Amino acid sequence: MEIKTLSQPSFRTQLRALYVIARKDWKVFWRYPLNAVSNIFQPIIWITPVYFMGKAFSTNGQALGFAAYSGTGDYMSFILLGTVLSNFILTVFWGMGYALKSDMDAGVLESNWLTPVSRLLILVGRTLTSLLTTAITSTVMLVIAGLLFGFKPTGNTLAAFLTAIPMLIGLYGFGFAFAGIVLLMREANTLVDVSSFLVQGFSGSNFPVQSLPSWLIPIALALPLTYGLDAVRGWVLQTRTILPLNVEIVLLIVSMFVMLWFGAWVFYKVEKRVRSLGTLGQH
Amino acid sequence: MQTTLSPQSLGRPGFRSDLGALWAVVRREWTIFRRYPSWIIALLIWPLIFPMMYILTARALAGPDGSGLNVFIQTTGATDFIGYIVIGTTVWMWQNIVLWDIGFALRNEQMRGTLESNWLSPTWRFSFLLGQSGPQIISMFTFFSITALEFGLFFGVRLNGSIWMILLMMLAAIPAIYGLGFAFASLVITVKEANAFVFLIRGLVMIFCGITFPISILPGWMQSIAKWMPQSYLIHGMRAAAFSNAGITELLPDLLPLLGFGLIWLVVGYFTFLWMERRARRTGAIGQY
Repeated sequence: MEIKTLSQPSFRTQLRALYVIARKDWKVFWRYPLNAVSNIFQPIIWITPVYFMGKAFSTNGQALGFAAYSGTGDYMSFILLGTVLSNFILTVFWGMGYALKSDMDAGVLESNWLTPVSRLLILVGRTLTSLLTTAITSTVMLVIAGLLFGFKPTGNTLAAFLTAIPMLIGLYGFGFAFAGIVLLMREANTLVDVSSFLVQGFSGSNFPVQSLPSWLIPIALALPLTYGLDAVRGWVLQTRTILPLNVEIVLLIVSMFVMLWFGAWVFYKVEKRVRSLGTLGQH
Repeated sequence: MQTTLSPQSLGRPGFRSDLGALWAVVRREWTIFRRYPSWIIALLIWPLIFPMMYILTARALAGPDGSGLNVFIQTTGATDFIGYIVIGTTVWMWQNIVLWDIGFALRNEQMRGTLESNWLSPTWRFSFLLGQSGPQIISMFTFFSITALEFGLFFGVRLNGSIWMILLMMLAAIPAIYGLGFAFASLVITVKEANAFVFLIRGLVMIFCGITFPISILPGWMQSIAKWMPQSYLIHGMRAAAFSNAGITELLPDLLPLLGFGLIWLVVGYFTFLWMERRARRTGAIGQY
């Protein structure tokens, strides 16, 4: 009789591990329901000053200056869509690093690391629940913010959804690399806060990158996220995109493969070093 | 010959020993602050990047030909939209940092396990909070100086007004900002977990106090709420002092309510602390976490 256990890993056991990680995170998330409320209202609070600021720049409810850059005067729909995508970016990009840090602090990282489960799979597992909860909270946020500020999608939502997929998968590559940095540095809060702010800012989550000062535009154009945000807005709001939509989609698919490969390479390199240093259990 | 000694020890507290305890808390906080130099990086970066997100959005709203900017100038009377936003966001950051630093001062002691033993010492307990405020105020004024320097250097923001009037507005705001922090610190000890409260208070400042826009643009009911928030007066007064060369007479409509709110919040903060102190003795909540 053949015994299949986690110590003899197979595809099924790996899937089971993934499911167990996601289930554990699901339970933890709903143990603190205030977090869900906070996830819904925090983005609304942050964009409220932008809503009123936009009014101070508008004539008869039309932000003509904004329209000249983006192709739409509906700046709130533009920003709301950017906020929803930013929520997902945060979840994938930084979620894995944060998860490792909280495992370190809780003292369970070393024991998790001893299990015969692929390390990358552990990282991916930590994002599954947060992706689902982000989808739920972002939908509720969008409904509430839509009622408060107005959200008017005029284009093809399905095409936008399909375009977002390679962007999100590519983000896993970024996430792997960042998780490696957390393993190495063990304390990366300032790095996370500052870099997430900058990446979100320069990829144009709140404004069209064309409006950046000319010396900052190359940084924005070097980030694959910029094209993801731009393409999704192009589909949903029919804004003027930086490059033709099909070119942006090809760029997203290519960068997805590059980022996945690069992220996994960085992570394994760092992980090997951390194992040889024996610092995995330290924090 | 017999000599009578009148021992003055901490076991028989007096005004001098209270001052000594206060000074000890100030010194301890200053030592802790200097032990973590990563704060220096945060002090350099945050003043720049937090306002920058709003500034870049405002740049986009202004448009390539500046047509939106003309509307903004007509609405706000401010020609420098960067300086206008920087003042609002800096006041928001001030209140936010005070909530985390002062609001969580006692809670952090509790988490470190030193609050209960400190509480047993025969000192004026309010000095635990007051002492934390000294180094915090110094670090905040460093933060403001760095903000002014960075935006002057990188964005060409220039003050048209008197630096003394700006300082006066900030000094007048200290009782209100820190009084709220004192009240908050006592509540945090009572309810243990307070992140949601910080998010609520800083969210209210963000929505109602006009950090990136004039309050006159808000609907009437929101303007009524803004009038009850000292940060609204601080932001308005600082903008007037910095960019409209307002003197003390022009600033009085902002200064007086700010001082009034300051008095109220200091009293509320102090009495909330006394209430928490009594409650903690009755329930033994100081040692629990």
